[in-house]
Amino acid sequence: MTRKRQDVVRSPAWIGVLLLSCCSGWEGVAEGFDKAAGPFIEAHCLRCHGEKKQKGNLRLDTLPRDFASPLSASHWADVLERINSREMPPEDEPRPEPEDAARVAEWIAGQLKEGEAVRLARRERVSFHKLTREEYANTIRDLLGVNFDVTDPTGLPEDPNWQGFERIGSVLSVSPAHVEKYFAAAEAVLNEALPTEVLKRLSEHRDVWSLRYHDWQREKAEKLGLADKVRVELWPHDGLDVGTDFPVSGDYRMRIKVSGLKPPKGRAPHISIYAKGLDRMLFEQDVVTPETEPMTLDFTFHVPAGHHDVRLTCEAPGPSNLPRHGRYDPGRFFTTIKDSPTGRQPWQWKLTDEEGAPLRPFLIVDFVDVEGPLQSLRPTPQHQGLFTGGTQDLAQAREILTRFAERAFRRPLREAEAERLVKLVENELRNGEKFESAVKTALVAILCAKDFLYLVEGSADQVNPRLNDWELASRLSYFLWSTMPDERLFALAHTNALHEPTVLRGEVDRMLRDPKAVRFTTGFPRQWLQLKRVGMFPPDKNLYPDYDAHLEKSMIAEGTEFFREVLEKNLSVREFLDSDWTVLNARLAEHYGIPGVAGDQFQRVSLRAEDHRGGLLTQAGVLSLTSDGQRHRPVHRGKWLLESIFNRPPPPPPANVKPIEPTPAGQPKATLRMKLEAHKSDANCAACHRKIDPLGVAFDNYDAIGRWRTEEIVKDGDGANPKVDASGLLPDGRKFADSAELRQLLVADTDKFAAALVEKLAIYALRRAMTIDDRRLLTVPVSQVKTTDYRLRDMVEALVVSDLFQLR
Amino acid sequence: MSNILTQRWLLNRRHFLRGVGAGIALPLLNCMVPLRAAAAATAQPRRAVFVYVPNGVNVLTWQIPKAGRDYEFSAPMRSLEKHRANLTPISGLYHPGGLGTAHVCGDLWLTGAKLSQEGGAYRNSISCDQLMAEVTSVHTRFSSLELSLASGTGLPGNVINTLSWSRDGVPLPAEDNPRNVFNRLFGEEPDGVEVRRRRLNRRHSVLDMVLEDARSVRRELGGDDRTKLDEYLTAVREVEIRTERLDSWLNVPKPKLEPSVTGRFQRDVSKSQAGEYYRTMYDLMVLALRTDMTRVITYMSGTEGNGLAIPEIGITQTRHELSHHNGDPEVMARLSKSDTFITEQFSYFLDQLTNTRDGDEPLLDRTMVLFGSGMSYGHSHGNANLPTVLAGGRALGFKHGQHIDYNLPKIKAYDLANSGAHYGLCGNPVNDQAHLSNLLLTMLQKMEVNTEKFVDSLGPVSELV
Repeated sequence: MTRKRQDVVRSPAWIGVLLLSCCSGWEGVAEGFDKAAGPFIEAHCLRCHGEKKQKGNLRLDTLPRDFASPLSASHWADVLERINSREMPPEDEPRPEPEDAARVAEWIAGQLKEGEAVRLARRERVSFHKLTREEYANTIRDLLGVNFDVTDPTGLPEDPNWQGFERIGSVLSVSPAHVEKYFAAAEAVLNEALPTEVLKRLSEHRDVWSLRYHDWQREKAEKLGLADKVRVELWPHDGLDVGTDFPVSGDYRMRIKVSGLKPPKGRAPHISIYAKGLDRMLFEQDVVTPETEPMTLDFTFHVPAGHHDVRLTCEAPGPSNLPRHGRYDPGRFFTTIKDSPTGRQPWQWKLTDEEGAPLRPFLIVDFVDVEGPLQSLRPTPQHQGLFTGGTQDLAQAREILTRFAERAFRRPLREAEAERLVKLVENELRNGEKFESAVKTALVAILCAKDFLYLVEGSADQVNPRLNDWELASRLSYFLWSTMPDERLFALAHTNALHEPTVLRGEVDRMLRDPKAVRFTTGFPRQWLQLKRVGMFPPDKNLYPDYDAHLEKSMIAEGTEFFREVLEKNLSVREFLDSDWTVLNARLAEHYGIPGVAGDQFQRVSLRAEDHRGGLLTQAGVLSLTSDGQRHRPVHRGKWLLESIFNRPPPPPPANVKPIEPTPAGQPKATLRMKLEAHKSDANCAACHRKIDPLGVAFDNYDAIGRWRTEEIVKDGDGANPKVDASGLLPDGRKFADSAELRQLLVADTDKFAAALVEKLAIYALRRAMTIDDRRLLTVPVSQVKTTDYRLRDMVEALVVSDLFQLR
Repeated sequence: MSNILTQRWLLNRRHFLRGVGAGIALPLLNCMVPLRAAAAATAQPRRAVFVYVPNGVNVLTWQIPKAGRDYEFSAPMRSLEKHRANLTPISGLYHPGGLGTAHVCGDLWLTGAKLSQEGGAYRNSISCDQLMAEVTSVHTRFSSLELSLASGTGLPGNVINTLSWSRDGVPLPAEDNPRNVFNRLFGEEPDGVEVRRRRLNRRHSVLDMVLEDARSVRRELGGDDRTKLDEYLTAVREVEIRTERLDSWLNVPKPKLEPSVTGRFQRDVSKSQAGEYYRTMYDLMVLALRTDMTRVITYMSGTEGNGLAIPEIGITQTRHELSHHNGDPEVMARLSKSDTFITEQFSYFLDQLTNTRDGDEPLLDRTMVLFGSGMSYGHSHGNANLPTVLAGGRALGFKHGQHIDYNLPKIKAYDLANSGAHYGLCGNPVNDQAHLSNLLLTMLQKMEVNTEKFVDSLGPVSELV
């Protein structure tokens, strides 16, 4: 380092930067900068990007180190990119040591992440956090007692997410299309809750004769004395159309009498009821029950009015008999084997053996009933609750609307707001509308108002960092229930008692016992673990023929059911890192090769060492969400682990990295890991990848859909498939032989994981990213539950009563 | 007399449109315009369509090696030969904001934004199609149409389902079901005009009220402390404008279509029949343009996550899977095959636009169509040298017939045998002036959007105008 360059550091320009960064509330960064990046930038950058020269119009010594400002942050992101890609310093300049460059790049990346979080979390005097579409539907249900099909084409657009979290206020946006859909939704749900005419009802019984056979066949069956014995068999992939005209939008009930035969070593037949136009599964389940003892499935679902094509399908693997049209001998019937005068027909032989033992999974259906809508006739209870009779004047309208709006807005109504609503009613009456219709228009307005669609915190006239009890009630309710507060929470807010720690603790306890808590036990892990990515790049059907929708659903459910078990039993969060149990259903157990699990319900299963499973990290869902549909991706697995388990996302890779070339013919086959290692011989890549990759290759024993393996199936190259090597070295020098040992090392780091998990919970609860400003408050709940072994339920409770949770 | 005032005379010119693409004359469009817009509608329409191809292409087979007028189409593009006089392939374009990004290239294809790489502070800007729609929407029942392989918005910054972005940088949800789109455009409204007018009037009152409610808070807040509130206000205001527009169209009958046309769009077309699905979507777009339902359409023919598999030609993988071919010659060949197939479908769209008459000219002559991807070399996420073809719009002043190449003046010749070198220029731009925004600006100006600049544009593409 030359004398002259040292002077630059002490030049007024640097002081200016120091001042600037202090003013912008970025204390500590300047100091960190001088230590971490200053010498490097000074040695390698300032000659061309300093006081004398500003090549490319870039001057680094005066570039504000305010990483929270979008402008300077974008410049620093450019600098990072150039250093990362080795574009800078240019080739004719002295080259920095790769480790130095990597360290600086990493430091800048860390600052950028902090800055990003600050921008994301920047609190306005009044903040608006939009309800996600699931929350919208839940809230409508509690408010109006009506189900709204939010994922249907007539529903709401899908919500974008940030690192898996779907409820980040600054990320959720509203377009005109949203507003149009909100308006249409408001009209639809109000029409269903407050119908203007008497509902038409549907009651349909479909026996086997209407499900499959013709009238003349029925006559023949009657002659044979089989009329009441004939049943409808469904081969794998075969189905029945059970769609109909649904007279009104509402809840309907379907009952299906069915047997499901599972071959001794095969998979259970899986019944699915799928509404095609709505692209929605109404119901699905494994069905295993003997031929002679059919069961009756009974479930309800909600559909909008109109004709819906609904398909009942037997989802099971097996050679389909579908293309063989005419396989049914129209003169013969399928019956339970004991009822058949002649035993199985030749075309039925493939289904069962002579004794009736199934050879492949199949269903036998007896009838399908649909009835509904299930809601009461007009006047509905909702109608009676709102329109209490009486004078039907503006005073009554005000009373009705105030009562409704206070629940919808989750707070007391302001005078001006009530005025506006009454004015709207007045206007409608003037247009010739009847009283109820005019009030209904104002109800539509309430459901389209910002205070319903957004969780609003803060007020325009005073700056208060602490939530009031109404806001707290909503925050708590949307955290644990994903819906509006119930009457008790409102009552506690009304008396201003909710924020008291003993009251809060009691409420957390009560709320977690409530069935609505399932929205937390599924919503949080789904978002935290980014389970939405499972199946986003669907596995190649040729490579993974076993992969199907039921498996995908089961994979996701393992993650959420595992979380629920840890929460309900109040276990240590350590179980997430490693455990000697998991929760499985039959489909997933078969996928894992774990015997003795029957049924579609998830159940706790003890794991043996030879199962090679434990904790979240060996779950098929987690292992496959980073895959690209073709192969496992160790680097992505490592990145996921850093993000989700340690909350330390690595910096982005430079653009245009050279691809991994296939192994030429004549060379022995190589695992992906071997190719990766050849690839990252480049010291510049290695600097970051030595932190990412070991965490990923540790799981190389699991393929792209999470199945255990000891050798990697490789297409290119010659010879035998190479053996998996899952050993590795952590950056701190600790070694592991495989994922089981890595999990043990992670367990030793439970402190770090617990802190990361509290932060993830806080992001979910507060609907924003955490910043350095939150760091101090975040440590409080962490240290509180450390003494009790980081039990999950305690952790949730500690977070709720902490200052962090009650501040804006 | 009275029927002139009520515009009922328009019905006297009611036309029955025959089969899509049957080459019949377009009905006199002006007769289907409400009084309010009639004055402005005397100028002939200008239309724009944007068709997106996900995950780039097999750049080694896609690249046209020769610049100028006597170029030869590369194999995957050969189906475009018959439209040679009406289109211009362009090589070497890129979005400066797209470099080094991966699949957000779909988000910024029409916006040119420099999106934050951090994901969270995500903010996009208005897409050029929406700037166009602001100009054309006074003439048409629908200001624009957003179509895609997947409905909704998808996940901004992750896998997006739409090409269109509002002034607030909010993604506009797209539709993927031809029947739903058709019914929205042409479906008969069950109720009479007065009932519908009353309903719109009611919607207007509701919007008015919630707008007033939000504005009162905005006034109290002052300053710039109100991003999310403003987003809501803009959206509600826009729906209010749409409501007024719907009202002004109430007396104008929707075009009557022959049952065979209607029937074509009432079928269920499975996406696993890729060709049939694409052709149905393209037919629908032609129908929407020829009936002047809208003049601006974006179509994401595949998303970055799920470019359609094409079972009918033996391709069972999505384009995303194909694009990460890892150098495997078999997979690369399949990617080329998929490129070829997608280009053929696009060529079919141009066929229909050519065969459909707009007065004396083909519909294509007043319709500019951009076809391309935000990625070139998908395997390592190369976002330079973007595959790009501009077609149509001859009557709007576009000069076609040559291959514009911004790489060749610098590199002299392509060496496609050296894959590394070619992949290199698909990741790092050769000519740093060759911004895709220049082309988007050129299109904006041809749509009479009054602007000299679009995002990072440096000027219009002089070779085209």
